[in-house]
Amino acid sequence: MKWITRERPKIDRIACPWLIRRFVDKDAEIIYVPFDEVIEKSKELNATPFDLPEVEYTHYGDECTFDYIIKKHRITDPALKVLAVIVRGADTDRHDIASQASGLWAISAGLSHNIKDDHQLLERGMMIYDALYSWAKHLQNERHTQNPIENLLLDVYKKFLKQKSGRAPAWTVELKEIIQDQIDTNLALCLKEISQSLNVHPTYLSREFSKYFDDLSFGDYIRKLRIEKAIVLLNDSKHSLAEIAYLTGFSDQSHFTRIFKKTTGKSPLSYKKSLAKSK
Amino acid sequence: MKWITRERPKIDRIACPWLIKNFVDKSAEFIYVPKEQVFAKAEELNAIPYDIPGAEYSHEGDFCTFDYIIRKHNITDSAIDQLAVIVRAADTDSFELAPQAAGLWAISAGLSYNIKDDHEQLIIGMKIYDALYSWAKHVYSEKHNWSPTL
Repeated sequence: MKWITRERPKIDRIACPWLIRRFVDKDAEIIYVPFDEVIEKSKELNATPFDLPEVEYTHYGDECTFDYIIKKHRITDPALKVLAVIVRGADTDRHDIASQASGLWAISAGLSHNIKDDHQLLERGMMIYDALYSWAKHLQNERHTQNPIENLLLDVYKKFLKQKSGRAPAWTVELKEIIQDQIDTNLALCLKEISQSLNVHPTYLSREFSKYFDDLSFGDYIRKLRIEKAIVLLNDSKHSLAEIAYLTGFSDQSHFTRIFKKTTGKSPLSYKKSLAKSK
Repeated sequence: MKWITRERPKIDRIACPWLIKNFVDKSAEFIYVPKEQVFAKAEELNAIPYDIPGAEYSHEGDFCTFDYIIRKHNITDSAIDQLAVIVRAADTDSFELAPQAAGLWAISAGLSYNIKDDHEQLIIGMKIYDALYSWAKHVYSEKHNWSPTL
């Protein structure tokens, strides 16, 4: 059979041909043409169009064409289920649904940048999906270090050395600076924007955040910094409480008072009074 | 120069040859031998041993051989720095260091499972690191969204 789709494939239009050739139609011929020619050419060549709107083989809801082929052809290989989530994650920019999706996306985007011939790209891609399939089928639970001594060293390293040095990923340091920087200038911090500039997925960021930031969630951490800044302002200032509330990003004084009391156990006013007394 | 290391490469022993070939020694030749023969063969062939304990070019603390080559040869390229974190994360089983590491590991482990010839694997591996480098250099902030009209 012939199968036809849009040119310049990246994820789904490489993964689907791989799936078709390996599980549906061994001798499938894959044709790539410009988007606006797919339907016309599919009729002319008697080819099945795929991965474009309004054809049978396409995306449905959250699922991509790869998922549809598995369903339609009743493929029940469990390794393919694992692979399908990775493909879907990379293809629909949902890198949070499979941890391998970001890497697959980076490698695929780079291959597409380097290789301008779609068929050459497909041949390269076939190897990548063969590899991912073997990994899903045979190696999913294997760690990188195969040698028992390496394993032992790695365990020791992880348990002791790493704890001692408390080494956190580089992005946490950078993130700390971004937060501090933003808190001083602009309190409207958005997790999504930040994760974009760090190139870390928002879901990953919000899940991992507390590990490196005093066990606090992203929101709680920001709140803590705002309260800390409020305390600094209360200490040295001629500002009114309303001004301090505004300067620390609270929409009104009563909201500020509530959060302040929840965090420090005192209202801003009694905090200020106790400061005056101790002076 | 000749460069020699242990057979059956997966991450570092593919990524290092790529780095050496592109940034250190264009005409480098790479040799894979069983682990216990690396130093003897290195002497015999006048080759530089790498990615094996006891060699100059090896892991140091948290850092893998790829990092060492960057430092030793003063390679300054921000895309390489980014690649280094991904390689380190995939090579040292610390996937939390870089989101791309788990995928690189899965693909590399699968390639090594499918391809039993180390040199054949190196050829394909080179293309993967070419791709990751291009991604880091040119595509980095691009997101993939399914929108055929774009």
